[in-house]
Amino acid sequence: MKKLLNNATRFLTVSLALVLLLTVCIFSFLAYFMVHKSNETISTVGTTYMSGMGEKVTQHFATTIELRLSQVDALVKSFPELDGPSASLRSDLTFNAKARDFESLAFYSSSGEFDMIYGDPPTLSNPEPFLASMNNGDKKVAVADTNHGERDVILGVSAEYTMSNGETSTALVASLPADYIAETLSLYSETSLVYSHIIRRDGTFVIRSGGAYRENYFDRIQALFEEQGESGEQCIRELEAAMDAGEDYTALLTLGSERRHLQCNKLPYSEWFLVTVLPYGQLDETVSDLGRASLYLAFLCCAVVLAALLLVFLQYSKILREQMAELDKARKEAIHANKAKSEFLSNMSHDIRTPMNAIVGMTAIATANIDDKQQVQNCLKKITLSSRHLLGLINDVLDMSKIESGKLTLNMDQISLREVMDSIVSIAQPQVRSKHQQFDVFIHDISTENVCCDSVRLNQVLLNILGNALKFTPDGGLIQVSLYEEESPKGEGYVRTHIVVKDNGIGMTPEFKEKIFESFVREDSARVRRTEGSGLGMAITKYIVDTMGGTIEVESELGKGSEFHVTLDLQRAETPEEEMILPEWNILVVDDDQQLCESTAASLKSIGVRADWALTAEGALEMLERRASIRDNYHIILLDWKLPDMDGISAAREIRRRFGEETPIMLISAYDWSEIETEARDAGITGFISKPLFRSTLFYGLKPFIDASGTSEELVHEERYADFTGRRILLAEDNDLNWEIASELLSDLGLELDWAENGKLCVEKFQASSPGFYDAILMDLRMPVMTGYEATEAIRKLDRPDKNIPIIAMTADAFSEDIKKCLDAGMNAHVAKPIDIREVSRLLEKFIHEYHHGE
Amino acid sequence: MTLQECYAAMGGNYEDAIGRLRSERLVRKFVLKFLDDGSFDLLCRSLEEKNYEEAFRAAHTIKGVCQNLSMDKLQASSSRLCESLRNGYTPEAGALAEEVTADYHATMDAIRAFQKESTE
Repeated sequence: MKKLLNNATRFLTVSLALVLLLTVCIFSFLAYFMVHKSNETISTVGTTYMSGMGEKVTQHFATTIELRLSQVDALVKSFPELDGPSASLRSDLTFNAKARDFESLAFYSSSGEFDMIYGDPPTLSNPEPFLASMNNGDKKVAVADTNHGERDVILGVSAEYTMSNGETSTALVASLPADYIAETLSLYSETSLVYSHIIRRDGTFVIRSGGAYRENYFDRIQALFEEQGESGEQCIRELEAAMDAGEDYTALLTLGSERRHLQCNKLPYSEWFLVTVLPYGQLDETVSDLGRASLYLAFLCCAVVLAALLLVFLQYSKILREQMAELDKARKEAIHANKAKSEFLSNMSHDIRTPMNAIVGMTAIATANIDDKQQVQNCLKKITLSSRHLLGLINDVLDMSKIESGKLTLNMDQISLREVMDSIVSIAQPQVRSKHQQFDVFIHDISTENVCCDSVRLNQVLLNILGNALKFTPDGGLIQVSLYEEESPKGEGYVRTHIVVKDNGIGMTPEFKEKIFESFVREDSARVRRTEGSGLGMAITKYIVDTMGGTIEVESELGKGSEFHVTLDLQRAETPEEEMILPEWNILVVDDDQQLCESTAASLKSIGVRADWALTAEGALEMLERRASIRDNYHIILLDWKLPDMDGISAAREIRRRFGEETPIMLISAYDWSEIETEARDAGITGFISKPLFRSTLFYGLKPFIDASGTSEELVHEERYADFTGRRILLAEDNDLNWEIASELLSDLGLELDWAENGKLCVEKFQASSPGFYDAILMDLRMPVMTGYEATEAIRKLDRPDKNIPIIAMTADAFSEDIKKCLDAGMNAHVAKPIDIREVSRLLEKFIHEYHHGE
Repeated sequence: MTLQECYAAMGGNYEDAIGRLRSERLVRKFVLKFLDDGSFDLLCRSLEEKNYEEAFRAAHTIKGVCQNLSMDKLQASSSRLCESLRNGYTPEAGALAEEVTADYHATMDAIRAFQKESTE
């Protein structure tokens, strides 16, 4: 078990670690991927932005240059040289050019010399292409340095003017400060990240901006790369190739940790290229902030997930541990149960062998002494005892196996608690007598005597408990059985019934008390070694009580005694109890138990009798004295057999001595009456009522005095001895001797009998009679020609109004299957031979009554 | 010989019989009638003819009569024979039939002795 738990824990720990690792990996990858992706996105955005930017600047450049060129062109158009050189032309040109903010204005000769109209003469950095374009008649832009070291942009438009040296010019040239272009084009701004340069094909700057200080842009690139220890040649070559092809060029330069975006566009009207640079420095920072944020977020999520996982793991591991513990417990229980069973089996084998040995041994002794009647009788007695014991053991085992396989069911039937108590009391009596134990039965608060329950199983429960009490209480000990009722929480239709069996016997150890209701357990100590039993009794008891929906509790102390308390919620029987009313007698109840006195008085009151009670014989005598003095004697005295000051018989003797023979005295006791009857009658006791004193016990016990007392005219229920005068019975019986006996006995009841000698004759006779002629049929089963079963079936199949006539079987076989077969064949009841006239009369009365009233 | 002694001789229960039939007159009447009862002859005949079903019924009848008259000894042996024949022939039927025969004759002898003395 421990190993299993360790394995499970190890597995869980390893899986947890792996899952944790996996989670960390996934989140790291996610973070990395996000950062990478955002870099890419930035580049894409940069490229798009930069190419747009480049185009924009290029267009702007073109527009600006075109505007300026057109201004120069306008000058040429406005002031054409009509008739040779004139001073006014120069001043007109100067005026108009200054108005347009040109720095200087000059005629340009086809040989590349400037004839300044105003301003400083410029020095072209690269005059050849410019001159060629001018001579070609194109418009062109170039850059030049002035004497003051400033850089100007020169705009040239073809124009033929007479220059001061007389030559004819090839173009009119105006200049603007390079800064103007840079500003107009916003090549560089403090607030923007982006800055631009204008360069020539060879990399030399036309217009510089930003922090550039070298003359050649290519050098700048190379230098930037070299700062990082790399070569910029690759980049430069690509740039040059794009320039040569006249295409736009876009590249992402990575300089160490810094990235720059480079965009190169060809500018119109010139040999120039626009280089726009976007350093990602700040963007990168923003992006990496974002990246960091998402990284932190990812790790936070990761941590939350991990915490959740850990929590789940801990919970799961807890549950697992609990389950393991449960499992371990169940396993131990199973082992325990198994062990108990094995022990039980070995005990049982021993227990079965002991009576079996006795039976075998006694049989052998009896056989050897077959002529010695005394000896044989003695042996048979022992055999009977042993076999009864053996039967008890086997019954218990069978019951237990029924219970274990869940086959024990209850046969609910209407029962009378009085009968149940009477029967267990009468069963307990012999043992009580032989062990000289004190035995008391108390009942009180009985609201319902008739309830629904399985009487056999209830008896079994009570006898098990009572049997134990008798068994484990030494000679002279005290055993009390109490029965009382109270309202049931299950509702009106139920009554909560308490049965308490208490003894002052050997008691139980607390350890044993814990296990008393377990199967196959028996207290195994020297104290109880000699006591017989299967050890299943209490388990069976508990199971039955559970099945009945009740509870059983036990209180016990070693050496002090035990108390079993059974609580059942029993359904009240549906049929109303017989109306029980006695005349308005005064009755005196004498018993040392006050509760019994009160309860009995209440029961008596409920059946119409006034009752007083006394706890001692002395008290009773005083009360009798008082009554006698006012000449209002009690009608009946109920006297307990055992009283504290004198026993019931002495008390009765005293009553008779002092108050005469008139008042009936009934002895009440849970003991067997037969033993003391003679003595009691001699003492003047009239009769006996057995405890427990239910209402009906009292009613039936006292009813015989109704006539004797003569105080009541209404006879409640006459003891009827059935009168069958005029009733006619058909009796099927093949043996004439049996027929004669039956006829003789039944005629006494006033019955008229017809004899059918076999089943066939019986059917024929019945068929021949007029309907309603016979009141019942008594049917022997084993008859020649036609059996009783067949005859019954035949009669039931007849087409007669009285075909349902009561048919009662009479047979010498009293097996339960025979009875079942009788009922299956359609008979109403079964009576065993030899004929018991009371039983036959009872059944006949019942069925004839039902038959006539049911029609 | 009194009826009581007769019962003792046949192994019956006189008190029981009196308890059931309620008068000595009736007990005597039926006991004497037992002499004429043909069931035992039927039993012997059936066994000879190996008609075990009929034999079973005859044994059963003897048992029934004996129950009514509390002739316990014969009732016990006839009952055992009856059971051995209940589901057809069984090997022990022969021995049991002999037992019944012995008990029957003992019973008959007792009744005859009683009859003889009481008519004298």
